[in-house]
Amino acid sequence: MADSLPWLFIIVASVAMVAGLASLWLSLSLALSDEVLGGARAQLISEARRALIGEKEALLQEIRDVSFEHDADKISDADFEELNEKLRAQARQVLHALDAGAESFRDEAEAQIAERLAEES
Amino acid sequence: MPALDIPFFGTLVLCLILISASYTMAIAIGAGQGRPQLLPSARWGTYATCALVLVAVCVLAYAFQVHDFRIRYVARYSDRSMPWWYLISSLWGGQDGSLLWWAFLLSGYTFFATRWLRGRHTELQPWIFATLMSILIFFVILMLFAANPFATYIRTTPGDGEGLNPLLQNYWMAIHPPSLYMGFVGWSVPFAILIAALITGRLGNEWVRAARLWSMIAWTFLSLGLLLGCLWSYEELGWGGYWAWDPVENASFLPWLVGTAYLHSVLIQERRHMMRVWNVFLLALTFFLTIFGTFLTRSGLIASVHSFARSDIGQYFVWYMAFLIIGIAALIIWRLPKLKAENEIESLMSREFAFLLNNWVLLGMMMFVLIATTFPLLSQWIRGEEVTVGPGFYNKWMAPIGIVLLFLAGLGPLIAWRKATGSKLLRAMAFPIGVGVSVAVLQSLFGARLGYPPLVEPTEIYDTTTGTVLAWISAVAPLVSFATCAFVLASVGQEFWRGMRVRMRKGENAATALLRLTSKGRRRYGGYIVHVGVVFMYIGFTGAAYDTEKESALRPGETMSIGQYTVRYDQPRMEADPNKRMIFTDMTLLDDSGNEDGRVAPAKFIYRTHPQMPTTEVAIRSRPAEDVYVIMSTVDPSTRRGTFRVIIRPLVAWIWFGGIVLLLGAIIGMWPTGRELLREEVARPKRLRFSPATAVVAVAIVVATMMAWAGVASAQNDSSSSLHAGSVVINDPVERQLFGRLLCQCGDCARLPLDTCACGWADDKRVEIREALAAGEKPTKIQESYRAQYGAKALAIPSDKGLDRALWAVPLASMVFAVGFIVLMGRRWQRRGVEAHTAATAASGTAQLEYDSRLDEELDRLEES
Repeated sequence: MADSLPWLFIIVASVAMVAGLASLWLSLSLALSDEVLGGARAQLISEARRALIGEKEALLQEIRDVSFEHDADKISDADFEELNEKLRAQARQVLHALDAGAESFRDEAEAQIAERLAEES
Repeated sequence: MPALDIPFFGTLVLCLILISASYTMAIAIGAGQGRPQLLPSARWGTYATCALVLVAVCVLAYAFQVHDFRIRYVARYSDRSMPWWYLISSLWGGQDGSLLWWAFLLSGYTFFATRWLRGRHTELQPWIFATLMSILIFFVILMLFAANPFATYIRTTPGDGEGLNPLLQNYWMAIHPPSLYMGFVGWSVPFAILIAALITGRLGNEWVRAARLWSMIAWTFLSLGLLLGCLWSYEELGWGGYWAWDPVENASFLPWLVGTAYLHSVLIQERRHMMRVWNVFLLALTFFLTIFGTFLTRSGLIASVHSFARSDIGQYFVWYMAFLIIGIAALIIWRLPKLKAENEIESLMSREFAFLLNNWVLLGMMMFVLIATTFPLLSQWIRGEEVTVGPGFYNKWMAPIGIVLLFLAGLGPLIAWRKATGSKLLRAMAFPIGVGVSVAVLQSLFGARLGYPPLVEPTEIYDTTTGTVLAWISAVAPLVSFATCAFVLASVGQEFWRGMRVRMRKGENAATALLRLTSKGRRRYGGYIVHVGVVFMYIGFTGAAYDTEKESALRPGETMSIGQYTVRYDQPRMEADPNKRMIFTDMTLLDDSGNEDGRVAPAKFIYRTHPQMPTTEVAIRSRPAEDVYVIMSTVDPSTRRGTFRVIIRPLVAWIWFGGIVLLLGAIIGMWPTGRELLREEVARPKRLRFSPATAVVAVAIVVATMMAWAGVASAQNDSSSSLHAGSVVINDPVERQLFGRLLCQCGDCARLPLDTCACGWADDKRVEIREALAAGEKPTKIQESYRAQYGAKALAIPSDKGLDRALWAVPLASMVFAVGFIVLMGRRWQRRGVEAHTAATAASGTAQLEYDSRLDEELDRLEES
């Protein structure tokens, strides 16, 4: 083991050096090209939607927890009704925003496709 | 001698890392400033930088393996006789190498974070990369300009190295520092996410969700590192304890306290969109404290058994910390309008408020430890007086605060989010309180008979009212602590039972209900399991109140009695390996009836490279009820007469067991849910995914196995090295506590406390003090006379007068002020919360009712996933 360890370190260092320099080269060549602009923009647009989905997930989780705490006899019926209705109202708003966002998302996607087609032609 | 110029090559790689990291940072900033096309380039730059750091580590590891003593660091921390595994652990055994190791772990985290970020949080990514690269740049600058691990000797190269410090040649050393560093460095990723959120202004829950997993990973490793540090101290330093409130131990405890506060507080933000400024502050403070802790360890400013040699890297840290403070403060002030809370606390009887109280206690503890750790420095600067703040001070103050924190760990789970109903909360508390009170009553009735009396001897550290109050608090602390432990266990048990009952009503059997309950609410129930682990650890800590110890000089065949044990010294024996000579003393433990109850073999190791530094190898016989901890202080080769110190330490094993439970809870808590996995599958189908949780689980399982193995090994033939000052015979607990507070003033022995120092001066002083005690003088009076005679620096506990009083008065006053503020704000939030709630409920009447059925469908899907 002791004899082979230096070789192991040489091999790992060599592989890492090659990988490092290759990554650096790739990074430089990507920095000098505009190739990924469309993709990056599309990703930014989808993130707004993803944030809303995250919001929806959090609210669903909270509704479930409030219901669970009610079932586990931690909160009274009156408090449960009140909290549950408030959370549901917020969740409905998020669903509404998601539906509205889907339309603008579609418009943006169409605009991007048109832009790319124009570039290619 | 190797043909390749390793030192030059290593330094060249460090320069390459600096160039690559700076380039990546610049590209990432460009990507963040409206040129998103640069993002993939920044990503590849990050990978390149990480790969180059790996090259540097491999080069240094290679240099250790081939004994390239041209490199100063290799010559100082290794020698030709060291086995290969210690040659690897030498990588982080000294200052320069540990900085490279830090950079290596940071690059590891950066690599995995970059992989994990693909397709996520695109707007945050550039600033995350830039922040991580800036931290790496700082460490590379440190190495290149102040602590280069590849630096060479100016004159002749030595033929052999100086060897690793014997204290570090221990298996715990192989895993304790890497784990602690993993915890320290791990906070860089959530911090980078936070900085990205502050810069981009995306301060909703997005960054919190992005940082969640990474902060849990960092917290888990930090906890593991602290625990392994306790094990190392217990087995390695040979003074019989596991935590000495050493400045470096404290330095790693500070970020843990604030990180724990953050993990609780951030739950409020996730659920209620509140406490945004507070969470930003807590996370930034946690990261800052990791840098501050590193500064304390590296600068050599504060004396510690752990600290590295005094060096000039401290000034670099001071500048970096100043930059962090100004930068973070400016960002927070700039983003204050966006950090406004969207909700308010609806009731003071809510889990949110319990978490606020939890934060109050944790930050209060942080204040105590921070002020006490830095007090010697402050005292030196302000009044030019040298003082020492020893374990006696910390133990007296931290025990009661710790019990309050433990109580909150039991109370929190009982309270509902948003608003608990008073009558229901009282009903929920009835069982846990009943269990706690029952345990207190049982201990009062039968504890003394079982060796756990409810009250212990009150010992004063000050001759003032504060000293008397503290003495009485510490006298009842074991009783209150055990009762609180029982309360928390009952509370968590009840929570599991209540949850199971809800599921069982739906037709599930008990086992399925328990399994599904935990798997559906991993974060919540994982957290509860962490609390159970903490309870077990508290049981172990409380056991320290019942320690007994005895020291005797024995010839082969002679015995000494302690507690229910008789310890027989059988014979000494000598062994040797290429690295060291080992002198063992075989001993047999006998039970009440004189039957053999185990064998131990404490020893002295004399390392070839450090003959002037013989280490004492303690032997531990570990059982759930108690550890028998045997130290061989001296052995005379001609007469074979040995001096032995035996300590009976009740319940210590529960600390390690609690640590394993805590780890298990943390793993459950961070394990990705089915929905999270499903979402990833949708995003990246048919590809092997990286899951940080899987990596943590793998590491944690390996470490837990090692801990379990070490526990078994302890029970059989535990031995580990330590430095021990020699033979000090003290059998009276009052004497032991007093001697522990008085530091030797002979001038030669590094101011060891009188309960450890074996020099002639200390011997004479002990005789003198014993006479004073026998004459009826109070320990606190003797302590004050000692202070008057030798000055404040001669005591391990500062006085209770003048500026010294600030040690406890400032943190205590802050805590009192903070609790008042929390209650006041809570009431205000509550009022505003009710108003907001009314408005929201009214608005909901106009909302679209058709979404209700969709919500129900989503909820069903959530339940099934």
